[in-house]
Amino acid sequence: MSTHSKAAKRFVADAERLAWHDQALYAVREKRDRMMATVPEWEDLRRMASEIKLHTLSRLGDYLCEFERNATANGMQVHWAADAAEMNETVWELIRRHGGRRLIKSKSMLAEECGMTPYLEARGVETVESDLGERIMQLLHMPPSHIVLPAIAVRREEVGALFEREMGTEPGNSDPTYLTHAARRALRPKFLEADVSMTGVNFAVASTGALAVCTNEGNADMGTSFANLHIAIMGIEKVIPDMEALGVFTRLLARSGTGQPVTTYTSLYRRPAPGCEIHVILVDNGRSEWLADEAHRNMLKCLRCGACMNTCPVYRRSGGYSYSYFIPGPLGINLGMLRSPKRYHGNVSACSLCYSCSNVCPAMIDLGEQIYEWRQRLDRLGLADPMKKAAVKGMDFVMGGRRRFYGGIALGRLAEKLPRAVLENGLNPWSAPGRAMPPFAPRSFNAWWKKEMKK
Amino acid sequence: MNSKEKILKRLAGDGMEPRPRPEMDFVPQRFADREQTFVERLEAGGGCAVRMEAGETLDEVIRRLYPEAKSIASTMEEVTSATINPDRVEDPRQLVDVDLGVVRGSFGVAENGAVWIAQDIRHKALYFGATALMIVIPREAIVDTMHEAVVRPEVDDFGYGCFVSGPSKTADIEQALVFGAHGPMSVTVVLR
Amino acid sequence: MKVGLFIPCYINAVYPEVGRASYELLQRVGCEVDYPLDQTCCGQPMANAGFEKDARALAEHMNELFARYDYVVGPSASCVVFVREGYPRLLPDYREHACVDARIWEICEFLHDVVRPARLDARFPHRVSLHNSCHGVRHMGLSSPSERQIPYQSKLRDLLSLVEGIDVVEPERRDECCGFGGMFSVEENAVSVAMGRAKVGRHMDTGAEYITGADASCLMHMQGIITREKLPIRTIHMVEILNSRS
Repeated sequence: MSTHSKAAKRFVADAERLAWHDQALYAVREKRDRMMATVPEWEDLRRMASEIKLHTLSRLGDYLCEFERNATANGMQVHWAADAAEMNETVWELIRRHGGRRLIKSKSMLAEECGMTPYLEARGVETVESDLGERIMQLLHMPPSHIVLPAIAVRREEVGALFEREMGTEPGNSDPTYLTHAARRALRPKFLEADVSMTGVNFAVASTGALAVCTNEGNADMGTSFANLHIAIMGIEKVIPDMEALGVFTRLLARSGTGQPVTTYTSLYRRPAPGCEIHVILVDNGRSEWLADEAHRNMLKCLRCGACMNTCPVYRRSGGYSYSYFIPGPLGINLGMLRSPKRYHGNVSACSLCYSCSNVCPAMIDLGEQIYEWRQRLDRLGLADPMKKAAVKGMDFVMGGRRRFYGGIALGRLAEKLPRAVLENGLNPWSAPGRAMPPFAPRSFNAWWKKEMKK
Repeated sequence: MNSKEKILKRLAGDGMEPRPRPEMDFVPQRFADREQTFVERLEAGGGCAVRMEAGETLDEVIRRLYPEAKSIASTMEEVTSATINPDRVEDPRQLVDVDLGVVRGSFGVAENGAVWIAQDIRHKALYFGATALMIVIPREAIVDTMHEAVVRPEVDDFGYGCFVSGPSKTADIEQALVFGAHGPMSVTVVLR
Repeated sequence: MKVGLFIPCYINAVYPEVGRASYELLQRVGCEVDYPLDQTCCGQPMANAGFEKDARALAEHMNELFARYDYVVGPSASCVVFVREGYPRLLPDYREHACVDARIWEICEFLHDVVRPARLDARFPHRVSLHNSCHGVRHMGLSSPSERQIPYQSKLRDLLSLVEGIDVVEPERRDECCGFGGMFSVEENAVSVAMGRAKVGRHMDTGAEYITGADASCLMHMQGIITREKLPIRTIHMVEILNSRS
């Protein structure tokens, strides 16, 4: 049994939470569908987004250098980090030189990927998440369970109890408006007292050297409004050629991710304000190697909108924590495998191959097809589940000979005569609780044909 | 070899064939009534749109919409009711929680109700710290889609700029929509 | 029109009546139908589990069995999709002749696109909820995927419109996966059953007496849930409805 399958069983056991989680996320998918319906050229946009990304990836080195040149000319400072350790060291060095103690940060999957927050905390830098969902997860000491909706697995009562403990909100009050405004008040001083701000980057425009950062809360911009050091961290795949490309991506991102026509704030940072510094860190951390993997380089087209999670019937019914990689869903299955097949192959089973993810993706990433491909690779990597392998070999053996196959049906028919308790035990995996075995027919189609056609 | 060289070397060896930059080979949507679409979509996102009447002044609009505002920050000359000139404030923290900020925007985008603001005030903190934000744009300056928006001259010359499409919002607690996450609780776009 | 009837393994063993209905239906619309004996499996279950290469011998067998037919037609969208998409990878040496993958059709698709009957003389006076299976929708185009901006079309609906007395409905979330997925249903059985339950529930919410579709494997999975929970709905394959007598 895969790690995902085991963990999913626990999630499924809580039927009420499962139903809520599934419905909440499917509602986001439906909002996305309604947004799509308002844009007649939707499929053209997706194709354009995909082709622009592929074009950029095919000349990634050039575009990164162009971005660096223009950003530098604009007064930003650009750093390159080969891996997570180097990114963390660069961030720390910048904060240390600045004499920083308090970092206010907006959401960044790259920071999660690199384990940056624990690294900085260990060096005495108070690191505060400013996105409400991320802040909830930080106070709960849990990782986000979704890349766009970090707290989607947390219920309002749990937030109420947490805020009562952390912010002294009224006991038993779990009204989202009340709690959100309590968090607003509690985070105000964190914004004002921070001496360093950090943001992720949605798009880095090579031709102008500008950074685009998208949020709904305005937390990224609020963060960069007071501290005079702004550190922006980005994976190297975030660079795009020019403003025309930004037009395409901003039309797709929020419509796909949250079902809004655009995020509330799409901010462009081009020149640091007088007396302020902007440092951009371009992080590789495996990406340049993934690009060389022809079957999976498409993952680098990802805009991190989260649409594939919202539509995934398995993610919605197993929750973010049933995946062993920090990014769940179809995206996380694939990124986890790129990161380390050995560590994360336990997620590859979490796919019924419905291909909804591939159809919903604004950058036309073949997410489902890639999961299929990873399954084929597992055996070569020596990571195939031995039980599953044995089952498939057995199936292959039975199917490989007509006598074995049709003899097997006869045997199966006999086996059905056994009491249900014997048939539907833990060793017969088809007999999940809640699903009956299909009965074998008294006569196979093959036997019927032989008999009928002799007449 | 430094990290930049290392990364560039690895990228050079990725075995990826060059792919051409695609041409825009389709015509993006157009709206019969851009202003109307802009207003509808801004309001769908929780913003508010106001068309200035002939002869009406900005001060009158402010009084009409925000009669309770006591601290009003604006650098706009027409806003004589401003109580704070934000450009004379040294510390941006002083602009946090002013009742109302009144600022200039460049143009609107019909497809998503966003307004482009190219920072023309000293502290961008006003855009995010004000409890309510009023953005004034020329009534005729509304484009159809982001394709046109991003190539406008105003989006080519700025230090910091932002497409704002409504009040700060979040749905992080059980997907329930709440305005005023960190930034303004309300945003009004004045079409003048 | 010489048609070789492809009957997937589990239909052979569990749903022979679907095979018989396919045979009769194809004859009724004027095809010359033959069933090459001793078919076993197309190899899809192995491939979806991550052992596509192990399906090569089965693919060769299929290719041989069906070498002499203009059309190979079977009542299972997902098996047909596997043959179409997987066999070109599995049988690279057979490319000079039109391989079975180039001649295979799912039966509803075949009726809709190739035979195009004007009438069927079928009658099925029941409310029926359409099951749009993932492979049928997203890899075969039996209907338009809800994720895409494509005008709505449904080949299954088109065909059912030829059936007298039928009332065709579709569930909410019309093409969400039922949770079968071959080895997925075994390896991830908790999630698989949760998906199946939800899917059957949405079909029931339409007030339908039957769930029908072009993928017997989805129907088998949902029937397993219906049987276990004794739910007031049942599954029936498309061909059984199209083959019903008026």
